[in-house]
Amino acid sequence: MTPPATFVRFRELLDGTAADDTPVAFGRGGERTRRDLLRDLAACAGRIEAVGAGRWLLCSDDSYAAAVALLALARVGSLAVFPPNRQPETLRHLVAGAVGALVDSAQDPPELSGLPAVEILGPAPAAPPGRIRFDRSAAWVEFRTSGTTGDGRPVWKALRHLEDEVIALEERLGASCSPGLQVFSTASHQHIYGLLFRVLWPLAAGRAFQRETLLHTQELIPRIAASREAALVTTPVHLKRLAANAGLLPLRSICRVAFSSGGPLDAETAKAVTEQLGSAPVEMFGSTETGGIAVRRRDRDGEAFRALPRVDLRRAADGRLEVTSPFVSVGDELSDGRARMLSADRIELVPGGGFRLLGRSDRVVKVGEKRLSLPEMERVLAAHPAVAEASLLVLEQRVHAVVAPSASGQPLLDRDERRALCAALIRHLAGHFDPVLLPRAWRFVAALPRDAQDKIPHAALLALFADRRAGSGRPSAPRIVREGREGEDWVRELEVPADLASLEGHFPGRPLVPGVVQLGWALDAATASLGRPPRLAGVETLKFPEPLRPGRIIRVAVSFSDDARRLRFRVSSGERVHAIGRVLLGGATRPAGEAGGDDTRDVESA
Amino acid sequence: MEALEQEIKELIIEALMLEDVTPAEIQPDAALFVEGLGLDSIDALELAMALEERYGVKIGDDPEQNQKIFASVRHLATFVSENRS
Repeated sequence: MTPPATFVRFRELLDGTAADDTPVAFGRGGERTRRDLLRDLAACAGRIEAVGAGRWLLCSDDSYAAAVALLALARVGSLAVFPPNRQPETLRHLVAGAVGALVDSAQDPPELSGLPAVEILGPAPAAPPGRIRFDRSAAWVEFRTSGTTGDGRPVWKALRHLEDEVIALEERLGASCSPGLQVFSTASHQHIYGLLFRVLWPLAAGRAFQRETLLHTQELIPRIAASREAALVTTPVHLKRLAANAGLLPLRSICRVAFSSGGPLDAETAKAVTEQLGSAPVEMFGSTETGGIAVRRRDRDGEAFRALPRVDLRRAADGRLEVTSPFVSVGDELSDGRARMLSADRIELVPGGGFRLLGRSDRVVKVGEKRLSLPEMERVLAAHPAVAEASLLVLEQRVHAVVAPSASGQPLLDRDERRALCAALIRHLAGHFDPVLLPRAWRFVAALPRDAQDKIPHAALLALFADRRAGSGRPSAPRIVREGREGEDWVRELEVPADLASLEGHFPGRPLVPGVVQLGWALDAATASLGRPPRLAGVETLKFPEPLRPGRIIRVAVSFSDDARRLRFRVSSGERVHAIGRVLLGGATRPAGEAGGDDTRDVESA
Repeated sequence: MEALEQEIKELIIEALMLEDVTPAEIQPDAALFVEGLGLDSIDALELAMALEERYGVKIGDDPEQNQKIFASVRHLATFVSENRS
């Protein structure tokens, strides 16, 4: 494959032939050129050699230092290991088998103690580095794929995997990036998407990148606005907030392109970005294992992702995506140097080439750039003595947990120690998962809702968090305190907030919960029990014996008869009965899981 | 100032949809991020947006300054009272 003419190959950076004044990096640590880079990497290589070749932890938040360290490691034939986070347990785990750590300053974190620490941009060593041990096909970078501590699987990339992808990116997307363009990023270089888009691709193409990562809109926007031409490398989480309140508008004639990867970008955000910047965001689809797979610009491609150059795609018999490309570093090696891998993403082929994503087959999600296997976190949760069973879902880009307590956990809830229990479960998970992945809200149920196929219906889990999806500020639904089966009944205990949105106008100074709202709560409980939303076909009897005032805990009990065609319900608090009735139900309206917020729709970062 | 601190505590709970946390339990001097309340970088973005909307304050472009402003409820209250429109 022939790279574009403006390109430099990594080999030329290592042997010094590319020493010129092409800008490489800018930002808080100062501007640097290729000449600086070549000098710094030779010095760094010398210091690495003084300790020894092998596995090196690369712990720097400065993208220029990371580039120096990476190339220095390539020069001495060593492997760079990026810690997925700085959790003490993660670092302790990664220290084993490492020769040393490459750091910004000698004040290394205590978890690295015992490991020789080498300052990446430290003083030049007395002796020049030895001969170049460059090998395009040797393992160069090790990523950890999940936000899980310890046992997250390593994925190795040789220089050829990353360089070939950089060439493909330039071929497909280089036209939207002029040579003088500056690259800004909210994505960290410790993950493959950030490493490729904010460091390696700009480095090879001769575009300067920002050294530090600014996450606050207010810090980032003025810096981009001060640039002549810019590209923004970001994630859906950040893009959504950057585009809020027309926040990207000041960058309209400056930011030529916004890249998004690391999860699904919602259509609304894509539209807002397009309106504000004047061009659609470029959405990248891929994973650590496969590298980049495909790219989408909604204004041109609609919903379809189009394959990157030299990537072949196939829909396997089970609907999953099979990728064959030179960037795939796991799976079956082919004789032409490419590799083939079956991903967990289910796809649909689109006429004219490309594919639409239908979801994941393995419930792996992305939250704040971290990959999380929901089944794995469910297993870790279930290992806690207070938990019998747990099920997780993602709402508004946050993990939410539904827990059925064990015999030893239930008494805690009975003694009203819900908060202590939540705190204990968070502590338990924090030892294993990145903080951004920890559940944001908890619901405790007597048993997890299950449908006739013994599956946990997504709609039923979703219904447990209905109170959190209001958006208006006032809660639109009561909070579920507890839920489960009691004999024939499905019973839900609800805390009715005093400022419930549906109390508007009922009645000033003396709020009452309208009867129709109570009927709605009964139908919500029926959804959890059935695993699908029931359709109201008629009312047989309906009575509201005692008025229900908000601010108290109520009990909603539902039961079915006549093959789930008849629903009985009762809303009560203590001895008082607020609503009682019997209604007729129609057939199923739609299968469970189509109620939106489907956590399996998440995609991987490129 | 105490009233403003109270308001900001309520804003934090509402904007970030925190459960099982009452305003009284958020210490004005306690760290909001990592330790203390345990907020993360996504929360920081949400909170900055909520503060701008509620008080019309503009968060500045200096990362180190912002780190100080977002250190605790007390720091946030001082910032809002000096900059609100």
